[in-house]
Amino acid sequence: MQLSHIRLLLKKFALVILFLVAFVMMLLNKTDTVLVDKTSSVATDVISPLVDLLNLPAKSVSFVYDYFKDLRLARAENRKLRAENRKLRLISERARSLEIENRLLAQLLNYTRPDEENLITARVIAEEGDAFSHSLIAYTGKASNPQKGQVVLTEKGVVGRLDKVGKMYSKILLITDINSRIPVMIEKTRVRGILAGDNELQPKLVFTPLFSEIKVGDRIVTSGVAGVFPSGLPVGVVSQVSKREIRVLPFADLDRVEYVKIVSYPVDDEETLDDETQEVNHE
Amino acid sequence: MNDDWSETLKAYLQSLMPLLSSILLVIFSFVPFNVVWDSNIHAAVACACVYYWLLHRPDVFNLFSVFILGLVEDALTSAPLGASILQLLILYVVVNNLLKYFNGKSFEVMWVGFVLCSFVAMFAHWFIVSVYYAAFLPFGLFFFTFLVTVCAYPLITLFNVFVQNKLMTDEA
Repeated sequence: MQLSHIRLLLKKFALVILFLVAFVMMLLNKTDTVLVDKTSSVATDVISPLVDLLNLPAKSVSFVYDYFKDLRLARAENRKLRAENRKLRLISERARSLEIENRLLAQLLNYTRPDEENLITARVIAEEGDAFSHSLIAYTGKASNPQKGQVVLTEKGVVGRLDKVGKMYSKILLITDINSRIPVMIEKTRVRGILAGDNELQPKLVFTPLFSEIKVGDRIVTSGVAGVFPSGLPVGVVSQVSKREIRVLPFADLDRVEYVKIVSYPVDDEETLDDETQEVNHE
Repeated sequence: MNDDWSETLKAYLQSLMPLLSSILLVIFSFVPFNVVWDSNIHAAVACACVYYWLLHRPDVFNLFSVFILGLVEDALTSAPLGASILQLLILYVVVNNLLKYFNGKSFEVMWVGFVLCSFVAMFAHWFIVSVYYAAFLPFGLFFFTFLVTVCAYPLITLFNVFVQNKLMTDEA
């Protein structure tokens, strides 16, 4: 009698209860508790194997498309690659000699080199980029042990950072997402700023010095401030400068990311790398 | 005895079919194809599924199915947890109130109905997440997603019709 009464009441107010549950979830999310982080990671781990499985037919479509595209473009691409290879060989020789020179100069200045980073390669299994969020899900596996906050790259440049880390799968927050903030600088002038996403296709450059000269075409790289990201990683190029905002076009094609590299970099708790360098130079 | 069990199991699976097929479609919409015309923007598949099943089989696609489908979508995105659930619950309320106008009508009328209902739900979603972040989210991207969803509706319906006709019986 009692049980059926409760059941009837629950049925009557189910809609209201579920609305409240959804609101509470959003509020909990806002407080950014460990509980929400863990729940979300577990949910990603549970659903992602199914997404991974559904990648098989998608891969077949992609394979057939690539096969015919490659056939058509093979000749021209081959010629282009040969020319590029000749150029790259010259650059490689030059880079090698510059590296040796750099090492010798660093020794002379008593400069402490930053720790070497480790790279984890991961396969992207899901992507999204609408008005509400911009993220990827990647298969990171058990052995790689990725950590929240690590920077994620493609061969072209930075795409984002690890947001939710599960046992096998991790969620990557793209640089265009509204929650993304990355310390960057203009490569040539070393003017620092923060690259902030707002769910548009191109992120904004904010917190730059008031009278800094920033032009369309300036290359943006990570600044290494806060020590979480290594400095000098390519991010994008300034595409629009107006009184209201500065927009940056990412180097990486965020719509077509197949594989990513996760950079595991030791966090520097004290001074930032750049500040240390300045101090050494002053001394 | 065995027949009873298999019949019960079959009926149970059939009643779950709308939810399972919707989950499958939602997950599939997140799969990257890595071809030229592919982009990260994808149709709001969950909205189309909720609309279809609430119109055609409300007996097996109830409020809890809507909630679970929203939860699955939330798990796949990096949008705030609960936002997709709210969107689908709003769609549930809207569709249930307008059910009498679209039920049993031609496909074109149902499509127009979907345009109206999905716009209300998706706009509410856009507004709620904008309030959550205290910043207006890009309206252009939202509207483009809405257009993609409207265009994808016939295809999603085709899949759902297949599930309804081939994998389910009327009494499930």
